[in-house]
Amino acid sequence: MPFDPATLDAPFAALKAYDWTADAAPLKTIDQAAIAAHADAALRADLEKRLCGILGGGPSRAAKEYACRKLMMIGTAASVPALAALLGDKDNSHMARFALERIGAPEAAAALRTALGEVSGDLAIGMISSLAARRDAASVPALAALLQGDATIAAAAAEALGRMSSPEALAALASADPFAAGGLGRAVVDARLACAEGLLAAGRRAEARGVYQALLDAAKGKPAAKEVELAATRGVLACVDASLAAL
Amino acid sequence: MSTPGSRQSRTESRRRFLQAGTVSAGAAFAAPYVLTSKALGDAATPPASDRVVMGGIGIGNQGKGDQANFLGRPDVQYVAVCDVRKQWRDEAKGRVDAKNGTKDCAAYVDFRELLARDDIDAVHIGTPDHWHAIMTTAACRAGKDVYLQKPETLVLRDGPAMVAAARRYGRVVSGGSQRVLGDYRGIVDPIWAGEIGAVKSIDISVGGPSMPCYLTAESTPPDIDWELWLGPAPWEPYNPGRCNGNFGTGGGSWRSYVDYSGGSLTDWGAHHFGGAIFAADLLELQPAKVTFHPASADGKEAGYVSVAYPNGVEIFHNRPGRLRPTPSISHQSAIQIVGDGQPREPKPVPAYRNGEGSIYGDFIECVKTRQRPFRDIELAVNTMTAPHMIGIAYRLERSLTWDRAAQQFVGDDEANRFIDRARREPWTLS
Repeated sequence: MPFDPATLDAPFAALKAYDWTADAAPLKTIDQAAIAAHADAALRADLEKRLCGILGGGPSRAAKEYACRKLMMIGTAASVPALAALLGDKDNSHMARFALERIGAPEAAAALRTALGEVSGDLAIGMISSLAARRDAASVPALAALLQGDATIAAAAAEALGRMSSPEALAALASADPFAAGGLGRAVVDARLACAEGLLAAGRRAEARGVYQALLDAAKGKPAAKEVELAATRGVLACVDASLAAL
Repeated sequence: MSTPGSRQSRTESRRRFLQAGTVSAGAAFAAPYVLTSKALGDAATPPASDRVVMGGIGIGNQGKGDQANFLGRPDVQYVAVCDVRKQWRDEAKGRVDAKNGTKDCAAYVDFRELLARDDIDAVHIGTPDHWHAIMTTAACRAGKDVYLQKPETLVLRDGPAMVAAARRYGRVVSGGSQRVLGDYRGIVDPIWAGEIGAVKSIDISVGGPSMPCYLTAESTPPDIDWELWLGPAPWEPYNPGRCNGNFGTGGGSWRSYVDYSGGSLTDWGAHHFGGAIFAADLLELQPAKVTFHPASADGKEAGYVSVAYPNGVEIFHNRPGRLRPTPSISHQSAIQIVGDGQPREPKPVPAYRNGEGSIYGDFIECVKTRQRPFRDIELAVNTMTAPHMIGIAYRLERSLTWDRAAQQFVGDDEANRFIDRARREPWTLS
């Protein structure tokens, strides 16, 4: 049964006034509209426009959060500008990513990359995390550059490169220290291991073995490197015969 | 054990750790390690060097039960607890100290400090579901084996991340449904004995998916670290009903809400789907098709969802008015399994590794011997794909096709959006 857009007027009026103390019952109509929008392009466009309208100005954090949840589901490139405007706002950045990370349009990835160059601290880690989830190849150069900066952000960048597991990501990781202090070293190791697994899965055994062997060699004589040695040894064995590395 | 070694080396390791001060920053309690007579063991207790050194993360409700099971084992040396709630943390420490006859069980608010200890071999995790994947992968990376409460995953993407971490670091990671082998032998044994022939279909009755949480804001009490409780989940104001650990799924508990749980569908569903999938020997498989059956036009018959496996077996969730053809076999009123009735060779039912009737003993045995446990994480993850896919089909009210190799739904951009969620900074899942 077609969904009548006029039925959204009252729920959106309620959403504009919604915070964590208001009655959320009217929002269920919007929930239903988001489902119906899958088969109704006009409804989807209307709903998306209304939800984007919540993201600017007066509505509460709770209302914006709700709108982001729905845009995660039905958002398109048309939502990106409104969502991108929230990426630098510490209260709303995560929920903007909650939508942008899952919107397949390339404009969403571009917005996350742009924001990565503009935000710092935890918000930057958020952008890195979302770009990694999208396996956004275009962000590899920016992630590679971050390996040399703040250790916490560098660790997130290393993890992201591992998630991408591309030759470019592996090349970027080559210059990162697998035994750097804190979480950075562990992240670099994990990322290199992930890249090696990708090579092995692609049948590029010699290259995978090279990654494992380099880690094994680097771990020799290093204190507290037993997890690295164990993982790299398992990898070398897997390059010979996968059954040798099975638990 | 991850680092089998002499009693001396382990003692030195503990001393190095304590001297380095890596505990003191966040530990509510810590004291220098003292070699006691208990550490030497006796007729009933192995010496400390032969025990698995454990800590627990998330010690309320089910985590408390897990702690009791591990704490009661003579082959476990329990040394640390972690919980974001002070009361549960203090009570958990008290139970450990009472058992050990000491006061040196360390108590942490932040799980990362517990995982940083190089003297701990294994951890059990009993937090809400939104923490499972991050904590499990971090534990594997830190060289710990993991016993992880069910449901192991909150979203489909959690599964491959945990399996990859377990395999990458050679860790023993066990899922935590003690009921899969414990409660369903009534259906498992006859089916594995070939009594109903090849399994054709399964009906499971269990509650539905989790719901949005619209609870109002209340002031945060001082005995909970709310930021850490939320962790990777969207920020929301404190409300006791949001984080209540009771086992209900109808509201007023974290198991009810979509940010922290898959609802009854994955919570009790982990047991019922786990038992049925084990009985039907589908553990290595993931569904290939998900079918949404809409409610009847007159509204008299509710909609429901089924999943079909590549071998043709179909699981129906809450199918109304189902027939009861024979030959079939049932577990209470929750599971009904139908076979083709054709003769089938019996096969032995897998058992826990140590011969005990306990999933906890199975895990400890595997930690010691480096075997995959009965509820290996990969099998648990495969199991959980079914209720997660069913939940997505209910949310979208349409049928789906799953490409296992790609870990994607075919041709459905919106469904693929539900495979994963953006995690709140600074939490990441690699």
